[in-house]
Amino acid sequence: MLDIRGVSYSYDGVEAVRNVSASVGAAQLVGLTGPNGSGKSTLLKLLARVFAPSTGTIAFEGRSIREWPPKEYAKRVAYLPQDPDPTFPMRAVDVVVSGRAPFLGRFEWEKDSDYDEAARALALCDAADLADRYLDEMSGGERKRVFLARVLAARPKLILLDEPLSSLDISHVQQFSNLLRDIVSRTEATVIYATHELNWAAAYCDRMLVMQKGALALDAPPSDLMRPDVVRELFGFDASVVEGWLVPRV
Amino acid sequence: MLLLLLVLALAIVAGSTFGTATISWRDVLAGDVTARTVMIDIRLPRVVLAALIGAALASAGVTFQTLLRNPLADPFILGVSGGAACGAAVTTALGFARIPGVVSIVAFAGACGATFAVFLLARRREYTDPTRLLLSGLVLNALFSAIILIAYALAPATDLTMALRWMMGTLFGATWSDVALLLGFVLASFAVLVAIAGDLRMFAFGEDDAKSRGVDVERVKLIGFAASSIVTGAAVAVSGIIGFVGLLVPHLVRLIWRRDFRVLLPLSALGGAILLVLADLASRVALSTSELPVGAFTAILGVPFFLSLLRRSR
Repeated sequence: MLDIRGVSYSYDGVEAVRNVSASVGAAQLVGLTGPNGSGKSTLLKLLARVFAPSTGTIAFEGRSIREWPPKEYAKRVAYLPQDPDPTFPMRAVDVVVSGRAPFLGRFEWEKDSDYDEAARALALCDAADLADRYLDEMSGGERKRVFLARVLAARPKLILLDEPLSSLDISHVQQFSNLLRDIVSRTEATVIYATHELNWAAAYCDRMLVMQKGALALDAPPSDLMRPDVVRELFGFDASVVEGWLVPRV
Repeated sequence: MLLLLLVLALAIVAGSTFGTATISWRDVLAGDVTARTVMIDIRLPRVVLAALIGAALASAGVTFQTLLRNPLADPFILGVSGGAACGAAVTTALGFARIPGVVSIVAFAGACGATFAVFLLARRREYTDPTRLLLSGLVLNALFSAIILIAYALAPATDLTMALRWMMGTLFGATWSDVALLLGFVLASFAVLVAIAGDLRMFAFGEDDAKSRGVDVERVKLIGFAASSIVTGAAVAVSGIIGFVGLLVPHLVRLIWRRDFRVLLPLSALGGAILLVLADLASRVALSTSELPVGAFTAILGVPFFLSLLRRSR
């Protein structure tokens, strides 16, 4: 579904992503991890067409993403930036229905069917009861669910999430991880999400991509990542692995 | 929307009914020639012009706030007012201010030139950073203020009162040709803003998000800024600098209707028109002997209303 071939991206002379190649199929949950500043966010933005690669190509469904008309691409690929915050207060349902924007013509307004999609997406994210509440009066976990619903409202085939687990407490991390797993199995979409929650990602993902200084250092099933030597090399973190979970050596 | 249209109609009727001369629509309908002249040639163009300027400034304000994702943005933020005032001040200093129309033309050119300069300063590698845009506008405005002070210090003393009136904003002496000119600018810019409204509202979650939703962010930004700056420049050229409308009307509207840009744009335009018509009326009738600056009354009328709404909202 997604084919990344030799993609690099640099700005201000810094190569944030260098020569990344990977292929991702349908209905997969993919964890994208790596130390701070390793290029995770930039890679997601390249896939979301926020940036265009300096070199290399990205193909989606066999067609270079440069050639996709922007709105058509946006109907199929949805991206959630890290901690989006509307400038002015908005109701959850308005936030979610704005995810239908790629389907609207220039002077067209959201139809009932778009609101149905929004309601469906909110329900899928266990957030139906939040519909009429304002974002600024919600907890961090509630906001994340609303924004995930916004992404799902377009029924995308590829979902790109930038650190959806950040600033969630441990039970919400679990809830959200379950939710991502659910979405993959129910909608057959592929979800690629950036995260620092190695243990959680490894427990839930089909596959892990690890970035290091802009390059893709590892592309493997979670079991290959969760080894003391690999974690020490990639993250400089001294840990034992107990029942598949990383435990720091204190 | 209908409610606001109705209020605007009432405000226009009220605005044209009251004034220093006691003339009403009844006299006009009775066939009084003086009444007709005062009403049709003096009061009505002034009231309609006030409505147009209010609509122009408020729609520019809501556009800037949306584009820059900044609640403190106003139509003058990108140096529009500074550029216009600077042009007007230099014209005055050179003694050209008494030639009819010159101040307006130079002010308009100054407004557009300033916006263009700000845009160039903020643009790097095909990307215009909102923060750089704000800072460039701020810095250029400071430079313009300095030039204005120097120009006024050198200007002929007899022209200073006129220059000061212009700086404070005035609708005195409005004509139908002013109205026609501004109407053209307002309609054109409004049409452009409506055409990009669907894309503009997607700026609510940031430019990256909008881009990922298929919005051509740089193009929409350029078109939005150009349309709002030009219409602001035209309004400033006609009336001088009238503050407050562009900053606070969008917030007023947002306190009542919490909706996206597609709804806020027409509501702000109507709200701005109403506020300026009422402020102009107040500025004319507050003192029977002379006119007070209309810009002061936009604040005097708007602030209590705004504060009461703010207290009632969470």
